Amino acid sequence: MPSGEPNVATLLTWFLPGAGHLYIGRATFGLVAFVLVEGLYLLGLKLSGGMGFEFLQPELRGPFAPALAPELGNLGALIYHMQSYGYGLPVPRPFPDTVVLGTTLTAISGVLNLCLMCHANFEARLPKDVHTGWKSPALPVLLTWICPGLGHWFQGRKLRGTLVFLSLVGCVVLGTILADASNLSRERHYYYWGGQVMAGAPALLLQLVWGAKSLNSYVPYGEAGLVFAAVAGMLNILAMLDVYGFAARRWEGSDSETEEPARSEDAANASDGGSAETTPSATAEVTA
Amino acid sequence: MNDLLVHALLFALLSAVIVLMSAFYSEPDDSKALRAFPRRLLFFFLGCAALTGLMLLAEHTVASVA
Repeated sequence: MPSGEPNVATLLTWFLPGAGHLYIGRATFGLVAFVLVEGLYLLGLKLSGGMGFEFLQPELRGPFAPALAPELGNLGALIYHMQSYGYGLPVPRPFPDTVVLGTTLTAISGVLNLCLMCHANFEARLPKDVHTGWKSPALPVLLTWICPGLGHWFQGRKLRGTLVFLSLVGCVVLGTILADASNLSRERHYYYWGGQVMAGAPALLLQLVWGAKSLNSYVPYGEAGLVFAAVAGMLNILAMLDVYGFAARRWEGSDSETEEPARSEDAANASDGGSAETTPSATAEVTA
Repeated sequence: MNDLLVHALLFALLSAVIVLMSAFYSEPDDSKALRAFPRRLLFFFLGCAALTGLMLLAEHTVASVA
């Protein structure tokens, strides 16, 4: 019997990190997740002075404008951010020195909560005493976000992982070169930055190294570079869905690569007089 | 280098990445995904060409100020 309704667990986690896990009876995991994800968002708010949405140009500001950002992954915190800080005062004021780090942390919090939503969704489908542990489909999703292709390597799909890495990281690097690093500024390109950050550590490392670079001249292929980097980030979402689907299929025993060994194990159990109900999920970490 | 040529090359490169990722997403088997890649890329180019044709047509008819 499933430990909960997967959609409810996912929605609860979206509104409040850890709430979905609490709903399916994983209170400790939920509490740790809550502290980590919300702590990251609050730290980001503190460092940025809550001015992250003030990067948006006045004509772009609206009630739903900030929602097209990675922070959307942590909806509860995003609503709190919008209600408490919004677009700030009507008069211009300087950004704090740590605004870039702060807004990056709030974005990372949103992405981490997306991974938590994957985790809560899959765990809700399992019986209460069965946990996926390190085999959770959410782990390769997180790894793929951290570095495109890493989740595929983790799953043993090295050719695919290498091609994904070369394609997506190559696009981010090429885009940064074409745009002369102008794509790395969230203040300059609020929405494109949101797409780009989905490419994970490569985009964030480039931002760390070249993000503060000032523009002194016209960049001929600046827009093309911007598109390259943002599209690479959004394509990484496809890669994250791919690793999630693969891990879920493998867990459920329907993947062609794992199906045959599972069947032969079942047959052996049956011939030995063992239970014919043995499934790959029996390899789960069963906790008392 | 010719500006149009550079843009065409950049478009081809990004198209290849988009098509590769979509092939991987829709096909769990690597060899099948890679085999389908040239055909998918061709369809992608044809689709883009058709869309460009439609946009040019609209520009010269509906949006024309001449």
